[in-house]
This record gives sequence, structure tokens and C-alpha cells, in this order.
Amino acid sequence: MRAARITRRQQDSLTSLHEAASNLRQKYAVPDVLRTHVRPVTTSSREAQWRNAAGRQLNLGAALLSLSVLADSGIEHYRGSFQNRAMYVPLGVSALALAASLFGVLDTRARSHVLRDGLYGVAAMTGVIGLGFHGYNILKRPGRFSWLNLFYAAPLGAPVALLLAGALGRGAEKVREDRSSRILGHPAGQTLGLLTSAGLAGTAAEAGLLHFRGAFQNPGMFLPVTLPPVAAGLLAASVINPGNALRRAAKACLNLTALLGFAGVAFHAYGVSRSMGGWRNWSQNLLGGPPLPAPPSFTGLALGGLAALSLVDKEQRSPST
Amino acid sequence: MREYREDQPVDFAIVGTGAGGGTLACKLAEYGFSVVAFDAGPYWRPLEDFASDEMHQSKLYWTDERIVDGENPLQLGSNNSGKSVGGSTVHFAMVSLRFRPEWFKSLSILGYGADWPIDWREMWDYYAEVEQTLKVSGPINYPWGPKRPRYPYRAHELNAAALVLAEGAEALGIGWTATPLATLSAPRGLAHPCVYRGMCVIGCSTNAKQSVLVTWLPRALEAGAEIRDLAMVGSIEHDSRGLVTGVHYLREGRWRFQKARNVVVAGYSIETPRLLLNSASGKFPQGLANSSGLVGKNLMVQANQAVWGISDREIRSYKGPPSLAITEHWNYSDEGKDFHGGYSYMSQGPLPMLWGATQSSKRGLWGQALLDEMEKYNHQVGLKIVGETLPQERNCVTLTDERDQYGLRIPRVTHSYSDNDKRLIAHSLRFMRQALQATGARDIWDETDDTCHLNGTARMGFDRKSSVVNADCRSWDIPNLWICDGSVFPTVGGVNPSLTIQAIACRTADRIRAMARRGELITT
Ligand SMILES: Cc1cc2nc3c(=O)[nH]c(=O)nc-3n(C[C@H](O)[C@H](O)[C@H](O)COP(=O)(O)OP(=O)(O)OC[C@H]3O[C@@H](n4cnc5c(N)ncnc54)[C@H](O)[C@@H]3O)c2cc1C
Ligand code: SF4
Repeated sequence: MRAARITRRQQDSLTSLHEAASNLRQKYAVPDVLRTHVRPVTTSSREAQWRNAAGRQLNLGAALLSLSVLADSGIEHYRGSFQNRAMYVPLGVSALALAASLFGVLDTRARSHVLRDGLYGVAAMTGVIGLGFHGYNILKRPGRFSWLNLFYAAPLGAPVALLLAGALGRGAEKVREDRSSRILGHPAGQTLGLLTSAGLAGTAAEAGLLHFRGAFQNPGMFLPVTLPPVAAGLLAASVINPGNALRRAAKACLNLTALLGFAGVAFHAYGVSRSMGGWRNWSQNLLGGPPLPAPPSFTGLALGGLAALSLVDKEQRSPST
Repeated sequence: MREYREDQPVDFAIVGTGAGGGTLACKLAEYGFSVVAFDAGPYWRPLEDFASDEMHQSKLYWTDERIVDGENPLQLGSNNSGKSVGGSTVHFAMVSLRFRPEWFKSLSILGYGADWPIDWREMWDYYAEVEQTLKVSGPINYPWGPKRPRYPYRAHELNAAALVLAEGAEALGIGWTATPLATLSAPRGLAHPCVYRGMCVIGCSTNAKQSVLVTWLPRALEAGAEIRDLAMVGSIEHDSRGLVTGVHYLREGRWRFQKARNVVVAGYSIETPRLLLNSASGKFPQGLANSSGLVGKNLMVQANQAVWGISDREIRSYKGPPSLAITEHWNYSDEGKDFHGGYSYMSQGPLPMLWGATQSSKRGLWGQALLDEMEKYNHQVGLKIVGETLPQERNCVTLTDERDQYGLRIPRVTHSYSDNDKRLIAHSLRFMRQALQATGARDIWDETDDTCHLNGTARMGFDRKSSVVNADCRSWDIPNLWICDGSVFPTVGGVNPSLTIQAIACRTADRIRAMARRGELITT
């Protein structure tokens, strides 16, 4: 009758310990990690499914951003002859962030994963450090913080893309855990919405700077400086002040921005063909022409924005339980 | 291309298709005049005809026989004259600078040289037109002079040689900037952007360089002008009233005659006076347009001295256009100068053969010493001026009795520096040495005797006594004879001249149109 002597409180805490242990086991079990994509949804509640979908969309956004950073830093740092050993770092980190994101995209459980979480954290940190390096690169040149150095020295926007990939990824993990989770003291949807909105605006500014460098010689070059800022504005507005019409407009613009990311690759491929020798001379023109990997970061951010929008939507309809 | 008959007078026969003639041909044709423009050189197609080979590309230079003398005889050819449709701009270095406004009134404001009969504010608008046409790539903010519109294309990335100029300038506390260049930093129409291979002064084989050949002339053809290449004009004909009637030219081995209502001479500072002098007749025994006696006088070079050194860093200065960075500090600042005038200096990127020739001719290096020096090619770095020289009548182009392959009397080019010129050069060498030293360069040496652009020999002015043409480039003596090229400059300033020449050509075209509307042109 020893069991009878266990108080109800003790029993409760035991059960929760048990649960926690099994959760941990489930979460970090190696075979589980490997089997995630062949295993069907582990939890059947609609709520969990929905959380997982939002998380995976954010993972997908982070994947595209990481891919963009990986390819872009690969090409640009190769062009810079990897003069500094640190120039290898963003390649490695963005590759890992990409792997983590793909894992996240395939992972159908409504759970975060310590590996992804950790890698996203490293990516974000690398972005911040990279920003420092690039800033130093600009400031050490004659002319310091001048147009010329903003055009041609290490770009400030590139490391920020890695930071954004990390941030979106961390957001994905948070959301998977708990729909009502808060980031930086605000509901996750709001924070992620504002973050992607700022990211879109920043990326548009970067495109604007570089297209200004290219004298907007092709009218298509105006697209990324018009559409994404509008999308960013609508996204921010509908996060702050939700309403159906605003949300629909934001969604439409974000969808277009996502498409623009792909169209941008095609535009840039055409741009490469406009250099001496065109694609026949790809080995030089890929380096000198407009960067092929840059535009997909718009797609990544737009996907992040769409996920944030649906989060905000849910948050509105059923304030945290 | 439209073609005109020789026996029917065209509105304008233009001799020379360079910065002056090519631009004017375009503008006049667009204004509806019938135009035939002659050039002694061939009509190149750069994509097919140009090689990355210094020897081969000497086909672009005017290397016909000329005699040089004076205290500082000029070295003529590659560095100052071209023989191609498109003129010297086919192998020019693309530096596209505006005059300092005060230079248009050098004499009255700055106390030297001569005044121009044109106001700088008018020129400012024409400069903008030319910069647009050439899609000049320039900095967002130009550090000197009055406000100018934004350059159509953005400045190019600096190469290591340009960064050295920037470092030196910052160390000495003077301004510097990316040089405004007439080569594309982004695609334009069918033209590719610059590929930074640095072959500019032997002719650009990508068409990124916005020379007269690829900018004004296609437009000229479009508007119905005829460009007659490989056509050497030997003399200008006139009638008994003293009006010109056309030009005699040699093409395909035969002398021919093109009738014209107006003739424009645009052969640059040696060939222009030579043609006018070679056209002397019973009526004009001193040559055409020469009642002032000033045709051929006041030849002005631009000083082109340099300071060179060796950097520990790899420079590879031949990468990219040769002069990617510039300082015009000594054009705009008059403090502490012991000379009149100004100079700019730019970063440099000499090609290997030129560099070898410089080492052997200027420093006397030969054999092993030359080989050793050439080993340092990737580390050499230099600064070079474009320096103003003052107009002097003793610097001139005259005719000798010797004749060239066309049977024409060849020119004698006489040149000596003035004391003022020498002081300017000494100042620049001192200053550039300090700048180079400040960047840590070693083994610094001065190249003391190079010259570049030519100007003057048919100056514009306010009256027929003291000048050859008026502000509209119309000769005082013969109202249907015009001169429109670098030879009309009364002073040269310390910047490369081609932008100013093209701006003057644009202005001349506008003036001609206005005069035609008012019925002030000669209609024969
Ligand atoms: C190597 C080099 C670099 C330069 N770099 C720069 C620079 O960076 N920036 C700048 O502003 N300027 C530069 N210049 C100078 C610039 O190119 C000239 O000042 C400008 O082209 C002169 O214009 P023009 O019309 O007077 O003569 P040109 O452009 O020389 O044109 C004259 C044309 O007339 C033709 N011609 C002459 N006589 C006859 C005749 N009798 N019959 C038929 N055709 C004739 C010639 O063949 C030639 O094509 C450079 C020049 C050289 C050589
Ligand atoms: S460096 Fe640029 S302008 Fe010069 S020759 Fe090459 S492509 Fe032409």
C-alpha cells in the first residue's frame, strides 16, 4: 500500500517528470532524427499540425535565405580570393543553416529541435560578426563611408541576410513548440512579421544601392525597389493594425515578392549574358555580372512574411490560450 | 549609310571625324543639314578589328612624317594624335573632365593666358549634354567646382593604383575622387560594360569605351550623314569672292573634289593649321583664315610628367582603365603656387611595351638592368599630371618644303616650355613625390619630359586681329569656313580636353542651326 501513501501532488509531479523524460527521449533520440520524414505526423491535433506547417514555412524561408547566402558568399569570397581565412566561415555556416532548414522543412513534428535551434543561433551570430567584418572593410578604405565603398567594398546587406536566416529559423523553432509563444516580448507572429518586413525593406535597400550602381540601365531594375518595399509596408501595417483588406493586400504583395525572387534570377542571368562574351564566358561573367544568388533572398523573406501573417491571423482569432 | 554625289554641294563638308568633327557631323545631320565627313583613317569595327597587342594597335596613331623642333621637341604619335574614324578618341584614355569655370576668363580673372569668348554657364549645359551622350561614369559628388548634374553612370571600382593615389591624397590632406570616365560601368544598348583589361589606350575591343566612333557617329549615320573614310583632304578650294566651295581629297589613289556650301576643319591641332596653310592661294597667300597670322600659332601641349615608385603591395596597375582616380586640387586651389595655371594628377596603368620603352628611353635602362626593372612591373605605381601650359606664339605649326606620301607639305612642330610651365612642372613633381612617399612606395623617380594632348593653333576670340575664329567657330575671314576641334582653345587648363571639344561642337551646331534659321549662312 505504499502507493496509497503517495500524495496526489507527488503523483502529479511524477507524471510530469515522466512526460518530460519521454518528451526529451523523443526529441533527441537519434533514430528519431533520422526517421522523421518517414514517420507520419506524431501528434494528431489540428493545432499541432498547424503549428508545424507555420514552422516549416519559416524553415523554408530560412532555407532560401541560407542558400542565397551560401551561393553569394561562395561566389563573392572566391572573387575576393579568400584573402582572409574568415571568408570561409559564412560558407560553412550558411551550408549548415541550409541543412538545418531543410531538415526543418522535412520534419513533420510540431517540435523544435536542439540541433536546428543551435545552428540557427550560430548563423545569426555569424551574420552579426560578418557585418562587423564588412563594416571594417568599408571603413579601412580610402574614402571611408563613401558611395564608392558602399558600391564596391564588402556589402553590408549580405551578412544581414545570414542574420535574418538565423532569426527566421529561430522563429520557426519557437512557433513549432508553442503557437502562443512570444519573441522579444511580443506574440511570435507580430515579431516575425515586423522582422521580415524590416528584412524586406533592407534587402530592397541593398538592391536599390546596387541597381543605382548599375544606373538602373534596365527598367526591370526598378522592380525590387518598388514591389518589396510595398510588401514590407503592407506586412508591417497588417501586423500592427490587422484587418482583412490589409491582410489580403499584404498577402498578394508577398506572393508577388516571392515570385520576384525567382524572376530576379532570370533577370540576372540575362544580365550575365550582357557582359562581354555572355554565358560562353561564364567563368568570368558570373563573377563580374549581377549576382545570380541574390534575388532568392526576397523569396525567403516573403515566405517568412507569409508565415508570420498566418500566425498573426491565428493570434488574432484565438488569443493565446 | 547615305552617300552624296561629289558634284552637288553638300551643306557641310567636315574634315576629321574626331571629338570635334564627329560630334559636329552628328548634330548637324540631326538638324537636317546634308553632311559628308572625311577622315584619313579607316572606319574600324572594334569587335573584329582590334587586338590586345600594343604593336598591332599602333595602326590607330597618326604616324605620318612630321618634323619637330624647339627647346623641348614633342614626341608625336601614340600619345597625342589618332588617324581613325572617331579620331584620337578611338585610343584616348576616356578621362572626361569639365574646365574650371574661371579658365574661360583666365586673363581677366586669373591674370594669365587669354579669355574665351564663351561663358562658362553656357558650357555647363553643353558639358551635361556630352556627358549624357557618352554615359560618363562618374562619382556621385564631384569635390570641385560648381554643382553639376549627376553623372549618367556610376563611377567604376578603383584598382590598386587608384587606391594609392587616394591614400597619398588623404595623407597630404587634399581631395581626390574617382575619375569621370567615358567607359560604361553598366550595359548600354548593345554595348557591354567595361571588362577592366586596361587596353584602353590601344583601342577598346569591347566597345565599352564611349568614343566618338561608337556614340556620335552611329547617330550621325542614322541622321543621314556620310562618313568617307580613308579620305585625306589635301586642300580647301575657294572661289573668286573668297568663299570656300569644297575640298580636294585623296581616296583610292585618286584626287577628287567634293563640293560643299560650308567646310569645317576638324583635323586637330597639327593637321588643322597644316590644311589651312596648305590651302594657300593667290587670294590668300598666308593660307586660309589667316589674316591675323595666328593660324598655327599658340600651340599648347599639356604637360604629362610623372612620379613612379615601387610598392610592396601587388599593384598590377594595368588592370582597368588607366586613370581611375584623380585629384584636381591644384586646378582649383591657387594658394601657394609660384606659377599660373593648374594641373590635375591621376593614377596610371602603362601597358608593358610602353613601360619597357619608358624605362629604356627615360632612365636609360638596357640589358639586364631593364629586365630586372621589368620584373617589378606588377609592383610599380605612379602619378601623372595633366598640366596647363601657357599659350606662346613661338610654339607653332608651320610648313616645311618636304612632302609626305600624299604629296603634301609636311608640318614642322616647334615647342618650348615657358618658365611658367617649368615652375608648374617642378611643383607637380615635388608634390606627387610627397604623395607617393606617403603611401610607402620606394625607389621613386621622376619622369620629367612627357607631354600629352595638343590644343590651340587656331584660337577663338573676340576679334579678327587676335584670333582665327569667333565663339561660333566661324572663321573671321571666310564666313563659310569653320574650325571645330581642339585647335580653337585659347587656353588649355589642367584637364584633358575632349569633353570640352565635344561641348564646343554641340554649341557650334546649335549656333549654326540658329544662324541658318535667321538666314545668316552662306547659300551658294
Ligand atoms: C593616347 C591618348 C589619350 C588621350 N586621353 C584623353 C583623355 O583621357 N581624355 C580626354 O579628354 N582627352 C584625351 N585625349 C585627347 C583627345 O583624344 C583629343 O584631345 C581629341 O580627340 C581631339 O579632338 P579633335 O577633334 O581635335 O581631333 P581628333 O579627335 O584627333 O580627330 C581628328 C581627326 O581628323 C583626321 N584628319 C586630320 N587631318 C585630316 C585630313 N587632312 N583629311 C582627313 N582627315 C584628317 C584624323 O585622322 C583624325 O581622325 C587623348 C589622346 C590620346 C592620343
Ligand atoms: S578597360 Fe574597359 S574601356 Fe578599357 S579597353 Fe578594357 S573594356 Fe575597354
